[in-house]
Amino acid sequence: MLNQRLLIKKILAHTVLIASCALVLIPFAMVVLASFRKGNFPPSTLWLNLDQWTLDHWKYVLGIPFREVLNATTGETKMVSPTVAPLHWFLNSLVVSSIASFGIILLSGSAAYAFARLKFRFRNQILTGLLVLQMFPQILTLTAYYRILNYIGERIPWLGLNTFAGLILIYLSGISINIWMIKGYFDTISTSMEDSARIDGASRFQAFIRILLPMSAPIFAVVFILSFISMISEYPTASVVLQESSNRTLAVGAYSLLDEHDKLWGHFSALAVLSGVPITIMFLLCQRFIIGGLTSGGAKE
Amino acid sequence: MVLKNNPNPRTDMNDGAVHITDLVKTYTDDRGRPTFTAVKKINLEINNGEFMVLVGPSGCGKTTTLRMVAGLEKITSGTISIGDRVVNDLEPKDRGIAMVFQNYALYPHMSIFNNMAFGLQLAKKKKDFITETVSRTSKALGLDHMLERKPQALSGGQRQRVALGRAIVRNPQVFLFDEPLSNLDAKMRVQMRSEISRLHGNLGNTMIYVTHDQVEAMTMGDRICVMKDGLIMQVADPLTLYRQPENLFVAGFIGSPPMNLLKGKVEKGDSGLVFKETPGENAVTIPLKGPVEAIASKVVGKPVVFGIRPEHLTEESKNGSTAPVSSTIDIAEPMGSESLVYMRAGTGNLIARIHGESLYHMGQPITVYVNLDKVALFDAETESVIR
Repeated sequence: MLNQRLLIKKILAHTVLIASCALVLIPFAMVVLASFRKGNFPPSTLWLNLDQWTLDHWKYVLGIPFREVLNATTGETKMVSPTVAPLHWFLNSLVVSSIASFGIILLSGSAAYAFARLKFRFRNQILTGLLVLQMFPQILTLTAYYRILNYIGERIPWLGLNTFAGLILIYLSGISINIWMIKGYFDTISTSMEDSARIDGASRFQAFIRILLPMSAPIFAVVFILSFISMISEYPTASVVLQESSNRTLAVGAYSLLDEHDKLWGHFSALAVLSGVPITIMFLLCQRFIIGGLTSGGAKE
Repeated sequence: MVLKNNPNPRTDMNDGAVHITDLVKTYTDDRGRPTFTAVKKINLEINNGEFMVLVGPSGCGKTTTLRMVAGLEKITSGTISIGDRVVNDLEPKDRGIAMVFQNYALYPHMSIFNNMAFGLQLAKKKKDFITETVSRTSKALGLDHMLERKPQALSGGQRQRVALGRAIVRNPQVFLFDEPLSNLDAKMRVQMRSEISRLHGNLGNTMIYVTHDQVEAMTMGDRICVMKDGLIMQVADPLTLYRQPENLFVAGFIGSPPMNLLKGKVEKGDSGLVFKETPGENAVTIPLKGPVEAIASKVVGKPVVFGIRPEHLTEESKNGSTAPVSSTIDIAEPMGSESLVYMRAGTGNLIARIHGESLYHMGQPITVYVNLDKVALFDAETESVIR
C-alpha cells in the first residue's frame, strides 16, 4: 500500500517537473528548429525533416550569400547577398549594452556609496524618491526623451537622436533600482574594514576602490548582467531613438523582420537564437563573481 | 595649532602621551541637527608608554572617545593631542596611531601578508622593507606559515593576531584597541589578554584599550578610566579603583561580586554612631567605630549608602575594628576555595566571601563581622564618596 502511494506521489511529482521543463524548453526548441527549416514560416512542429534542413536563415543573419528558392515547383532560384544588417544589429546591441552596463555600474555604484556611507541632507527623502520614480515605467517618458535628445542633437550632434551615445544616455537614466540594490549590499558590509583602511592610510576613494569594491563584486556582477540582458532585449526606447536601419539594435532589427506584409519567421528565429549568445557569454563571465562568502572572514559581528 | 609638516622624530619621550581636553562629541542626523551627546566635555591625560583602559557599560562613550583619538569620528569640540601635536584635524594615518577592532576588520579579499602590508604599501615603502617588516612581525606572532592564506581560513584567535600584527607593522606611537577580545571564546580571550600585556611590556608604547569587561580592565590596565553616560567617573590604577572608589557607580562596577551597597541613614545610637538600613524586613544595623566614625559624624541623619566589599565580611572577629551583623542565609555558592554567601538584608542581599571550609545552607542563621576599616560611605544624593 505504502509503496503504491509513494509511486503515485513520485509519478505526480515528476509529471509536474517534466511539464515545467517543457514549458521552458519547447518554445526554445521550436525557435531553434525554425531557424534551420526551409522557408520563412512560423514555427509549427517539433520535428525537422532532413529534407527541410537549411542554413539559409543563419547565412542571412551572418551576412553570407545563399541561393534562395523562389518557387519550389518551377525550381526558380535567386542568389541573395544579404545586407550585413543583422550582424550589424548584433554588434550594435553588444556595444550599446556593454557600454551602458559599465556606465550603470559606475553611476549606481558611486551613488550607492554616497547613500550607504555619507551623511547629507535629505538622504532618506532622495532614496525614497528614487524608489517612487522607479515605479513609473520608463516608456512613459519616451516623448520627453525624444524631445530632449532632439534638443541635444541640435547642439551636440554625436549625442542626439540616431546616435548610440544618445541611447546610452537614456539607458543610464534608469538606475534607481540598481542604486537601491547596491546600497543594500553595502549596508551589509561592516564599516570597520574601511575604517581600518583609513587608519592604514587609504583615502576615502582608495578605501572604496580597494576595500569595498572588491568585496562587492557579486552585487556588481548581478547588476551588470541584469542591465545587459534588459538592454539586449529593450525595444521601445531603442526603436524611437535609432531610426536608421543600419544602426538598429538587435531587438529593433529582429522586429523589423516581422514586417506586416512579409513576416520572415525563419530569419527572425535565427536572429533570436543568436541574440542569446552574448547574454550567455556575459552570464558565464559574470557568474564566477556571483559567489557567496566573499566578505566572510573579514569581520565578525 | 596644527603642525602639519612636523617631521616629529620618535625619540622624544613624550611622543606617545595623549592629552584629551574638554572633549565633546554630539552626533547629528542627516540634516546636521544634534541628536545625542555621547561624550560630555571630558579631560584625560595619558602618559607616554601607559596602558590606559577605558571601561564602562555600553553607551558610555568609551568607543566614541577612542574613535575620536583615531580620527575616525569628528570632534565636536575640545582638543586631542598626541605628543605635542594637536591632532584634531589630522587624517588618521598622520596621527601615529594604529587600531585593532572588535570584529578584526581584516580585508577578506586579501592574503594575510597583504592585510599586514596594506598600510606600508599605501605609504609607498620599499618592497624589501615591507617584506622584511611583515615577516619579522608575523614570525613574532606565530603567523609566518599562513601568510598566503585568506582571513576566512583562520580561526578567531589567529584573525585577531593578524589584526594585532597589522597594527604593529605600522610602528605607531599609540595603539588603540576597541574591545579586541569580545568576539573570542573564553579560553582564547585569556590567552590573548596576556599576549597583549606582553606586547605592551616589550614595545613600551602607549596603549588605549576600550572594554566593557571590568576583569580585562583590572588585569591589563596601568590605569583605568571608568566612564558612564559620556562622563568620566574616576581615573586611577586598578587597586586604588578597587579600594577607594570615588562614587557609587565605580563601587558597583568594579569587582565581582560587586561591593555591597546598603541604603540607609547614620544615626546616633546608645553607644555611638550606627548605620541603620532603610527599614525593611531584614534591615541590618551596623555600629560605626574606628576611622569611619569620624566620616560618619559629618552625615548624621542624612541618607547615605554603606559600601563594603564581600571579602571584608568575615566569619571571625579579627583584631581591629569590626562589627557583627546577623542574618539568615538566602543562597550559598560554594566555589571550593571560598564560598559566596548571600545574606538577607533590608533591600537586597549582603554578599560575604568567606572561606570554603564548611558548607552553608539556605535559611541557616549566620553572623559575620564587618571590617570597619574597609567601609566606604557614599552620599545618597550626589553618589560621591564621603571623606
